Amino acid sequence: MENILEISGLNKSYGNFSLQDISFSLPEGCITGFIGINGAGKTTTLRTILGLTSKSSGNVRLFGMDMKTNEKQIKERIGIVLDGGGFYDELSLSEMKSIVASAYKSWDETKYRIYLDRFSLGPKQKINTLSKGMRMKYALALALSHKAELLIMDEPTSGLDPLIRSQLLDILKEFMNNGGRGVFFSTHITSDLDKIADMLIMIDNGKIIFQEEKDILLDSYRIVKSDLKDLTKDTEKLFVNISKTAFGFTGITNQLEDIKKAMPDAITERTTIEDVMLCNIKGGKK
Amino acid sequence: MLFQLVRKDFLLVKKYVLIMITIYIIFPLFLVWRLPEYAGILGFVLITIYSVFMLLQYVSLKETQYPKASALLCALPYPRKDVVLSRYIFCLIIYLVCCLVFGIETLMFPRLGTFGFTMPVMLFLVISLILSIYLPVHYKLGFEKTKIFFIIIIMASSFAFPQFIEIKSGIYLSFLDMLSPTILLGGVILFSIIILAVSATISMQIYKKADL
Repeated sequence: MENILEISGLNKSYGNFSLQDISFSLPEGCITGFIGINGAGKTTTLRTILGLTSKSSGNVRLFGMDMKTNEKQIKERIGIVLDGGGFYDELSLSEMKSIVASAYKSWDETKYRIYLDRFSLGPKQKINTLSKGMRMKYALALALSHKAELLIMDEPTSGLDPLIRSQLLDILKEFMNNGGRGVFFSTHITSDLDKIADMLIMIDNGKIIFQEEKDILLDSYRIVKSDLKDLTKDTEKLFVNISKTAFGFTGITNQLEDIKKAMPDAITERTTIEDVMLCNIKGGKK
Repeated sequence: MLFQLVRKDFLLVKKYVLIMITIYIIFPLFLVWRLPEYAGILGFVLITIYSVFMLLQYVSLKETQYPKASALLCALPYPRKDVVLSRYIFCLIIYLVCCLVFGIETLMFPRLGTFGFTMPVMLFLVISLILSIYLPVHYKLGFEKTKIFFIIIIMASSFAFPQFIEIKSGIYLSFLDMLSPTILLGGVILFSIIILAVSATISMQIYKKADL
């Protein structure tokens, strides 16, 4: 599988915050979730990829091309959804569309109208009359109407109700089925990724913590529940996170085989992405 | 692409464009009625500078109100240099419309004086000079800090232009006599275009490095 996005050695400093040696890649044909808590560096990374903020060092390559030298060709092939849409609220949908559409050589007006009908959006509506969910749908209509091959989205599900989030996930699946080559979206709502992501990249405090296929990642962690008597100095080292109560303990481990040997009676359960994310960040470790 | 970005600026301030055109039509006529000694060239100069800068301020205000929209614009295949260049063109279009409207008014109301080429060209130089300083400062410091600059321009122009008109005949016309009017006006236009081009290049460099 080819990589459609490759980041290597990316560094960027902002006052007290910095992205440190960010390196990861997005294989073709995958929906990749970019997870991390608020302020972890997700938006800064996305903005640096899109060339919206300058980088101190590092390389950004999309579709095998360098962003620095092929910016226009690359951007023609990307669909973008920013947190909150990134629109001029006082314009109508058709006015905003005319600004976006004229930037793309391959704008497909028919496709745009189909999306508008599907989302029950009127072209004469003012953007400031749209609900948060409708704004997201409008942003998707704009991002998907120019034959984009890679969809980059910043917190697209933030603040949306479960129904609209579910509809959004369906649209992403549809995009991939219709020949999309990749989706890269940042979120801190990890339940959405449980349903749809193929690959996960986690960032914390400006550093990449892991990049892993979702199923392999979730398979490598287990929630373990057992009596306190099973916890010794040696067995505690097998956990990345432990929560103790008067009745027992609940821990998360990535050394399941050793746990099975040390605590044969312990109950083990599958983890969610949120469990894995929390046990990999400083504040989430207990 | 450039045309669409200029159109975008006009879309953002479409409400104010109508208001400014109305004021622009009424103001010279008001001067003829109430202050005939200031009607004509002075009215034309003041109202054109105000029109250009008021609309420029409104566009900047909207861009400040919606910073993510500027980010989206630059995330699209629009080159950043076009985003900057469109702002200069936006201002020059307002200037041209002002000249056109005032030219028509002078034909309809002879008391406004004769229009000719000299004053629009000289005003082009003044507007080019102000824009050439204002826009790079705006791209460097942002809307809020540059507002102070704008306030100074408004206050200074109210005092400076009547004085400029008074002293102009003594110093400036003697210099004019030495050159043919065509060469002089051509030189002024060329100089204005050069400073606009230099200013636009500086603004582009500043905006190219801006974090959005």
